[in-house]
Amino acid sequence: MKETRLTMKNSSTSLFGKRVDRRKVLKGTAATGIGLGAASSAFAVPNILAQEKAPVVFWTTHTATGFEALTQIGEDFNAQSDAYTVEVVQRPPADVTDSSSLITAVRGGEGPDVYLLDRFIVAERAAQGLLQDLTEFMEAAGDNPDLTDRYVPFAAAEAVYNGAPYALPFDTDVRMLFYNRRMMEEAGIDVSGWAPENGPITLEEAAEKFNQLNVEEGDQYSQLGFVPYYSEGWHYTYGFLFGGEFFDWENCQVTPDNENVLAGAQWVQDYAIANDVDKMYAFIQNAMRPGTPPTDNPFIQGRLGGFISGNWMFAQFRNYMGGGSATPAATPEGGGSYTADDVAYTLIPVPNEGDESATWAGGWSGVVPQGAKNPEGGYEFVRYLCGPEGSRTYTEMNNNLPVLTELTSDTELLGPDLTWVVENLFPTTNYRPPLPVGARYWDELTNAWESIYLNQATPEDAMAQVKQNVQSELDAGGYCPIENPVGE
Amino acid sequence: MALPTISTAEPAVAPRDQPPVNPTPRRLWDSPYRRSQFLTAMVFLAPWVIGLLAFIIYPIGYTVYLSFMRYGGFLEPEFIGLDNYTRMLNDGVFHQSLWNTLYYTFFAVPLGVVVAMALALAMNQPVREIGIYRVILYLPSVLPLFALSFIFWALLDPNAGIVNEFLRLFGLNPPNWFGNVHTAKPALVLMAQFGAGQIALVFLAGLKGIPDSLHEAAMLDGAGAMSRFFNITLPLMTPVILYDLILGISLGLQIFTQPFIITGGGPANSTNTLVFHIYNNAFRFGGNMGYASAMGVFLFVVTFLLAYVVFWTSNKWVHYDLS
Repeated sequence: MKETRLTMKNSSTSLFGKRVDRRKVLKGTAATGIGLGAASSAFAVPNILAQEKAPVVFWTTHTATGFEALTQIGEDFNAQSDAYTVEVVQRPPADVTDSSSLITAVRGGEGPDVYLLDRFIVAERAAQGLLQDLTEFMEAAGDNPDLTDRYVPFAAAEAVYNGAPYALPFDTDVRMLFYNRRMMEEAGIDVSGWAPENGPITLEEAAEKFNQLNVEEGDQYSQLGFVPYYSEGWHYTYGFLFGGEFFDWENCQVTPDNENVLAGAQWVQDYAIANDVDKMYAFIQNAMRPGTPPTDNPFIQGRLGGFISGNWMFAQFRNYMGGGSATPAATPEGGGSYTADDVAYTLIPVPNEGDESATWAGGWSGVVPQGAKNPEGGYEFVRYLCGPEGSRTYTEMNNNLPVLTELTSDTELLGPDLTWVVENLFPTTNYRPPLPVGARYWDELTNAWESIYLNQATPEDAMAQVKQNVQSELDAGGYCPIENPVGE
Repeated sequence: MALPTISTAEPAVAPRDQPPVNPTPRRLWDSPYRRSQFLTAMVFLAPWVIGLLAFIIYPIGYTVYLSFMRYGGFLEPEFIGLDNYTRMLNDGVFHQSLWNTLYYTFFAVPLGVVVAMALALAMNQPVREIGIYRVILYLPSVLPLFALSFIFWALLDPNAGIVNEFLRLFGLNPPNWFGNVHTAKPALVLMAQFGAGQIALVFLAGLKGIPDSLHEAAMLDGAGAMSRFFNITLPLMTPVILYDLILGISLGLQIFTQPFIITGGGPANSTNTLVFHIYNNAFRFGGNMGYASAMGVFLFVVTFLLAYVVFWTSNKWVHYDLS
């Protein structure tokens, strides 16, 4: 401190000559400080009021109706809570694996008390040390730390890392095949056997019928029947469909080179080659850009016969195509452009006759990050958000699939579309392995997937590269062994 | 412009408290006058020095420290020696991103010199409405990079993009620029040229600094336009070109915005650059802050070496005077 004062003295005299001396500077500073202090106390909220309810800061990257529903849940929580008041803060959306805004805020001591995190990276953020283990909060609140007690199994598994719950599951999204029934029937294609009650059709039949819709104009496609990798046609989708596994828990090895995973990738590559790789990609590329509006979806535009996507599309079809609800075996009516009534959905087609269809789901979850200023209040809100009250509001306002078992059986709440998903798809729903390298695994698989469907690498070569990159990261992180969330 | 610096040399007029002749330089604290001068200088320098220490020196030091650690940003850093550096040897994406970055730098920077030179020559023409032309040529450089990225996405769209529509007029079969591993990097190189206006202004200033008398003398001797360009203009522009190369290399190696916005590093990692890979490891993949730091140190060394090589060769081709 001595040096500081010396500097101050010299600088004030040197800078301002003899006109301003140190005493004057100090006097002026003190007066300003006292003035500001008085002003701030005059405008401050009385302490007793401000501390009546402790604030809980909740961050989400959700937008549009999702954000509106979350805001409503926040208001409902505040109305019923005597101890806490939650503030719902919208953060700029980013790729789901990109947590940079949360990471930097927590590091800077300005992180939220609650964050809505994509569930498949909960294990990764937990291993990184970003999230708080919820066990103690759950025990204090009288909740069972075994999440399978209240949540559907595939959602519960993703919220656990090495045996400890780091999140509460919020909602889910399941993949299925959507097709434009009227477009196909108008082209003279018989899809009467595609109704889900007949069981899944084969990929061969789907390809043969969809390809009849392909229309070329000049050297480009103006309409396509099916683009296997569009929307939710991911590596995981075809991997699970062909019976593949992506992680060997016993040996702590990623297995993108599993023979069934490779078989799925090979099918997609063959399909793309048969329909001209570059022309197909040129048709779909714009719609695959991150952040494209739903109106850029060629299926919604009536230029694509079918695609694999998730249950959130039900609402999008109604909002962007008009018409009522898409239903299994919807009956086509009327003419002109297509509406949601023309859309039908069914199980994802299978490799061989008689195979069981398979799908997978992800979803969001509530977490309490490290450094939360009010972790108890944070858990209290997560519990509300992911409990029956919050989940019900979210389903009602945003038409999302809940994961609380007490709500998944409520057919009145779910309506016919979501009830169909719960009854027909939940039993065969897989989840991505919750790993400390889950985001890297996803990104590497996605890069390999691009090489595969663009026919720039064989599935074997592309997936061998994935294995090398991800396994070396897993080994370098010293994470092994990792506990299988559903046991052996 | 010469910046004021602290000098230990004698002031031009010796103050009263110093003897008029003193062969050995005196230390700062020898007289109250020097102390006061030094402290005044320090006060003026303080904002910059504090900024330098807090935002440049400390992060560099911390990055080097973290590069030897296993660290994800939250738990205690764990010393792992050179593991993060040896890991680069086995990381296929790192190799790919390094290749992409070098490819981009080696093509975009020299091409940028040619384009900027052409723009500068165009901006230097003795026509009355030159002001308007200069504004038009410079305008693309005013756009922020992220806006330019979106514009390029639209221009190079395989179906509706104006570039491909134009090429089809001539019966060509244009590529899917950002969607093909063979054309995505060249597309980024072409895109970089839209920022050439910035450096063209520097080149223009350089061109203005070449005395007209040289050109006039050469014309009297019968030199044509090409001959004058290669024998007078270009040699005298070499100091400015050197400046552009050094700047271009350091900026080119840091390319991030375009892959982040347009391609997401794809297709198939063909536009995944080193800084994008560093960003992904630091903020997307858990637990890799240490590894990202090691790659940051590596990038610093590569930048330094390339700049050094350019400087080292510069005495062979840079001409600082008219002799």
